[in-house]
Amino acid sequence: MQIKIERRLETPKIIYVIIPIASIVASLLFVGILLLAIGVNPFEAYGVMLTRAFGTKFGLTELFVKAAPIILTGLAVSIPLRAGLWNIGAEGQLYMGAFAASWVALYFSPPSAVLPLMVIFGLLAGMAWASVPGILKAKFDLNEIISTLLLNYVAIYWVEYLVYGPMRGKEVYNFPYSDLFPDYAILPRFLGTRFHVGVIASFIIALVIYILLKKTSYGFAIKVVGSNPKAAEFAGTSREKMIISAMLIGGAIAGFAGMMEVSGLHLRLRAAVSPGYGYTGIPVALLARGNPVFVIAAAFLFGLLYVGGSAMQTTFGIPVAIVDVFQALVVLFIIGGDFFTRYRISIGGDRND
Amino acid sequence: MGESMEPMGASMGAMESMEANRDTILEMKDIVKVFPGVVANDGVNFSVKRGEIHGLLGENGAGKTTLMSVLYGLYKPDNGEIFFEGKRVEFNSPGDAIKAGIGMVHQHFMLVSKMTALNNILLGYRTPKDPMMDYEWARSRIEELSKMYGIEVNLDEKIINMSVGEQQRVEILKALFRDVKLLILDEPTSVLTPAETERLFKALKRMSAEGLTVIFITHKLREALEVTDRITVLRKGKDVGTLITKNTNERELARLMVGREVEVSIEKKKSAAKEVLLRLENVYAKNDRGLLALKGINLSIRRGEILGLAGVSGNGQKELEEVIVGTRKVEKGRLIFNGKDITGLGVRKRIALGISCIPEDRIETGMAPSLSVEENLILRDFPNFSKNGFMDFGQIEAHAERLIEEFGIKTPSPKVEARTLSGGNIQRLIIARELSRNPLLLIASQPTRGLDVAGIEYVRKRLVTFSEEGKAVLLISEDLEEIMQLSDRIAVIYEGEIKGVLEREEADPEKIGILMSGGELEET
Repeated sequence: MQIKIERRLETPKIIYVIIPIASIVASLLFVGILLLAIGVNPFEAYGVMLTRAFGTKFGLTELFVKAAPIILTGLAVSIPLRAGLWNIGAEGQLYMGAFAASWVALYFSPPSAVLPLMVIFGLLAGMAWASVPGILKAKFDLNEIISTLLLNYVAIYWVEYLVYGPMRGKEVYNFPYSDLFPDYAILPRFLGTRFHVGVIASFIIALVIYILLKKTSYGFAIKVVGSNPKAAEFAGTSREKMIISAMLIGGAIAGFAGMMEVSGLHLRLRAAVSPGYGYTGIPVALLARGNPVFVIAAAFLFGLLYVGGSAMQTTFGIPVAIVDVFQALVVLFIIGGDFFTRYRISIGGDRND
Repeated sequence: MGESMEPMGASMGAMESMEANRDTILEMKDIVKVFPGVVANDGVNFSVKRGEIHGLLGENGAGKTTLMSVLYGLYKPDNGEIFFEGKRVEFNSPGDAIKAGIGMVHQHFMLVSKMTALNNILLGYRTPKDPMMDYEWARSRIEELSKMYGIEVNLDEKIINMSVGEQQRVEILKALFRDVKLLILDEPTSVLTPAETERLFKALKRMSAEGLTVIFITHKLREALEVTDRITVLRKGKDVGTLITKNTNERELARLMVGREVEVSIEKKKSAAKEVLLRLENVYAKNDRGLLALKGINLSIRRGEILGLAGVSGNGQKELEEVIVGTRKVEKGRLIFNGKDITGLGVRKRIALGISCIPEDRIETGMAPSLSVEENLILRDFPNFSKNGFMDFGQIEAHAERLIEEFGIKTPSPKVEARTLSGGNIQRLIIARELSRNPLLLIASQPTRGLDVAGIEYVRKRLVTFSEEGKAVLLISEDLEEIMQLSDRIAVIYEGEIKGVLEREEADPEKIGILMSGGELEET
């Protein structure tokens, strides 16, 4: 018997469906083993996750509320990814958006202008944060993975500094919170739950980005840059412009996610605005292969994990960090699975025909 | 399987008496190597005698390099046996092959560019004083080899500062230093000037005289005829004949290679000179490393002509191509196209004015491999296929179907990724795209490199027809034969300068060769 690894000439389309699904299944298995190791029946645990998310009106709306920012960060990673860039910085861009929106909410008037201004400032802050790695990449070829990642820490600590210091609320005792936003700075909610208008906005944004990437000449140019930057230059498409603009759009969307979280959910600026949605955007974008419609689907999977994760915490005392483990496993499996798009393994005897 | 071995025959003059006694040094029997979708070697039998120069001839994709990679231990054959010096051998890596006395000089050199020639030759070699390096010993041995075979290099020069020919000599010395009995050269002349080629051939003949065996892989008939003792021809993975060089000719070899009679040359009428379409005035440009690559180029291309640009690669051809396309900045000087100064225009505006280009790096520059065939067919024209920023997919598909039909691009569908096409079809795709917008000027850079004979015929005919329509072609090629055959005028570039422009009638390989190596022609 012989195991052979051969290069594929053509990659069957089905592989692109199998890899993400297999990655999810394999990650569930591995997390299951982890759960077993700490004495929890994985079937029971996954069962609790599902019933919590789908069993009640509260659970279902929470699923949407958690999926919405993940849709946005998934898009924030996907757009640069199509141009061949790794935006690891959606988390930082989200924090900057949250900061800018909170600043408007707390200190700006007149009331009627505050919500629109929060959106605009959120977008701009995310953009500004993403522009730094974008420009450095375009002009000096500085590795965007490193610059986006490091800027996350700057943004997170900046927000922490603010809520412990200058922006700490007067009525929050010693918590690292700002004051609650005034009513006019809060996104409308529905159904008596936390389901806010930002969730709907997230879906609309995903559709708009879908059209932008798939139907316009801008989307085509981004794809060309992502496939072969030299060919893009040869076609008269400026690689620099496309890199910077893809980062700016991604950053703006992540910034909007930050605005949405403070205005729709927390109703104030606080430390830990996000439990790592920016990082969750990475496996989401990978699972979706950069396609905005699939981003929605993948975001719901991770939304489910976040909702279920807190259920597992309350029921079994499992730390929510299990969600991070799952995320990391998905990324590893997808990257590993990439091997199968390029090679195939055949097992069997010699083929001397 | 082919017309097998002919009786041993004599060859190169002085060797004649020894010839009859030569034993077989290498015997490859029934070699099969299958890659997914391709049978690269399909039961090849190949036998080489000690001390001969054996040509391995075939078109691109005939399986020459695969066969030699099997011998060198880079690939494991799926079937077949190899006998070297009478013993059955199985090489699992090049290391095994080197130990047995087989050396290979690859088409792309395997040298460390920032190290000296001496260190490159010694790399991985244990000198007698190991683990200490014994440079004295090594140097004197290398110098001995240099003298013996007439292969000179400056041992203390870094590879990066060497010409391609010199780098090749380092590679050859590296192999000789390891006491090879059999040396494989993969397309060694593709990067050399005519003079350097001469020099290489002399060295090969001396090696053969000293009893070393050489396998010379090539697809150039003329060279195979010039330097080898015997020639084995491969076609589509099979050996179709082994011939004694002095008893054969170009026609017979071409027929064996292609499997049918081929027109070796294409009819090209000399064009009547018309007005200038593109004029480069004193153009300076830098290369990617920031050094001046074009130093004051003055060149005119006229309507209706093919202007050939000859030169050893790396003398500024690529930069010139990019300067005209618009992807490289002009430091000084002007470009006048159709009476208009285009020096400051971007790529897209130049495309609109009628400048098309088949780039040198087809895959690296010419296409986006993960995009579909139809998307690649609009790669440089996509703004024309959109309305208000939205792509017109119907029009794109119709465009693709038309071009696939007209240019005979073989693809299962316009939607498949372009990377799945063969080299020849990728070239057709690029030509189709570049000609589809009906340009005035076509820059064709190495347009037939890597194509099979049928593909070459096709591309050359296209270029000729195009020029006959009153448009201009700038043909950049390392293949002198191609330049001589197609061009109305021939310009020679050397170290970023045009050393001369010859009319087709006054040009011959010798004159071009002198200019290519930086010499001057005497005024007559």
